[in-house]
Amino acid sequence: MAVSRLLVANRGEIAVRIIKACRSLGVESVAVVSEADRDSMPARLADRAVCIGPARSAESYLKVEALVATALGTGCDALHPGYGFLAEKSELAETCARHGITFVGPRADSIRQMGNKLLARATVGAFGVPLVPGSDNVHGFRDAAEVAAEVGYPVLLKAAAGGGGKGIKIVTGDGELQTAFETASAEARAAFGDPTLYMERYIPNARHIEVQVMGDRFGNVVHMGERDCSLQRRYQKVVEEAPAACIPEELRERIREAGHKVAREIKYENAGTVEFIYDEDRQDFFFLEMNTRIQVEHPVTEMVTGLDLVQEQIRVAGGERLSFSQEDVRFDGHAIECRITAEAPWQGFRPCPGTLTDWRPPQGPGIRVDTQCFPGYRVPPFYDSLLAKLIVHGADRGQAVARMKQALAQFAAAGIDTTVPFLAAVMEDPDYVRGRVSTRWLEGRLDELAARRGQ
Amino acid sequence: MTEDEVLQILDLVEKSNFDYLDLEVGDLKLTVSKSGVPLAAAAAPAPATVSVTQAEPAAPAAPAPAPPAPAAAPPAPESAPASRPVTVKEGAVPITAPMVGTFYATPEPGAPPFVKLGDHVDAEATVGLVEVMKVFNAVSSGVAGVIDEVCVESGQFVEHGQTLFLVRPDENEACCQDDSTECPVPGAS
Repeated sequence: MAVSRLLVANRGEIAVRIIKACRSLGVESVAVVSEADRDSMPARLADRAVCIGPARSAESYLKVEALVATALGTGCDALHPGYGFLAEKSELAETCARHGITFVGPRADSIRQMGNKLLARATVGAFGVPLVPGSDNVHGFRDAAEVAAEVGYPVLLKAAAGGGGKGIKIVTGDGELQTAFETASAEARAAFGDPTLYMERYIPNARHIEVQVMGDRFGNVVHMGERDCSLQRRYQKVVEEAPAACIPEELRERIREAGHKVAREIKYENAGTVEFIYDEDRQDFFFLEMNTRIQVEHPVTEMVTGLDLVQEQIRVAGGERLSFSQEDVRFDGHAIECRITAEAPWQGFRPCPGTLTDWRPPQGPGIRVDTQCFPGYRVPPFYDSLLAKLIVHGADRGQAVARMKQALAQFAAAGIDTTVPFLAAVMEDPDYVRGRVSTRWLEGRLDELAARRGQ
Repeated sequence: MTEDEVLQILDLVEKSNFDYLDLEVGDLKLTVSKSGVPLAAAAAPAPATVSVTQAEPAAPAAPAPAPPAPAAAPPAPESAPASRPVTVKEGAVPITAPMVGTFYATPEPGAPPFVKLGDHVDAEATVGLVEVMKVFNAVSSGVAGVIDEVCVESGQFVEHGQTLFLVRPDENEACCQDDSTECPVPGAS
């Protein structure tokens, strides 16, 4: 049944993005806001805004009952979870289903299957997709020592229930293993309520490559190419690109096929991303995890394919067939996205909530800005610091980089610190310009970028 | 917090470069704004809120409902009426919905309502229920006084912080529950 009124169960730029997709489709939108977001852009743009609770996310955006009650109370027939918050909690998808509300996302069983890292590894391994050498489950320190000896140091200890870089430890030798094991286990318990760890070979020179997939209820599953999200700080993506122009085409094709295969095998519905780690030294790739939601960086894929992923999400959730086939997915040029956050880049990325006294994002051909900000907007201190995504498109990577430099130079934001000057420094860096970055590059380059600022 | 302490704080804010102060001590929340327009975050109602608006003493402390859709946007459908803004009358105190959900004025279908217009309630009185996913939550008055206005209908979907009733507090009630002009705090009027 086609969606006619949709609850936007999120905030910030992605809520704005979803509301705009609704407008394009002629679907009515209902925004939910916390007390801190009553005056936000989504509240202004949606057909209706409903305050669902206090500023604290645990009492508003993370409350399944409040969201579903609001969807029912406002006559919504669908709910879009965005990313973060409850997007990958199967409980929300299940509660929606129980109340006859269409969840704009995958089936609950897909969320569960891919949400647990161990279950995901086991599932994907069975499809013949390569996994990082390691062990699915390390029971105690002795077991960990045995696995480490087999895989070879350095190794990574990761939380089975983890994500977002929490509970990850790099271990370089036997001497560190016990302490690392105990702290990672304690962190995993504290952060995710589950101390289970697994171990992987650590790949020092790695790129993060991910494949965008999309499926419908009729078993059609397509991939929409890959993205390179290697530029990270503390396991958080900072700059994303499409395509992954810096690795050989033959390998890119194999990665796309592997991602496509995962999605096909699990009969995936709606938008998802299959993440891989690419070993630059061995020219090999391994499955990392699957994200069962729309991602922050989806616009780079939209820019090179010309497709609208969020509109497509709403359509297929409403029971329509995918509006394009694999053959229809064409790639044109190169796109880059910079995440602009309310942080002081030269002061250890200290968060900077406050009022934007000036806010004039750049405009022009090949430039797109996804944002919830406006002049005078008061950035609340309660949520993540993303202010805007600046996306550019060029005929090739060189043109895209040049365009991003210009766009950042034209980005006027004042009143609070933002990462705009930091991103401008990244765009000037010779390593970045040549595409020679790994997932650890940025951390090692911060001091140098800081020293070069203003030049 | 005593009245004197509030006055001292007002004095400090007045002499400072700050336009806005949000102070929370335990259950008590004090919001002071020089600009006269309470900021969105300050508009949150709480039983213990002391809202002092200096430039415009009559500015309502009522919860600002999420702003209505812009004129250009398609009107909200009939089944989903936007909550109408409630102007707090002078001296009246709002009873607000503690959560989003469906408001019920009666304990069960067909039963008489918990409270009617003109009823006297004490601070602990139950004035209605808010149902969220089959869980019913009692709404207590929070203030002793007379029901001055019933702002919502039974069965209506209400948002968090939406005004359900207006109460005219008893004489001996703390005056600073709202920003009525009767408030004897000199700096506030």
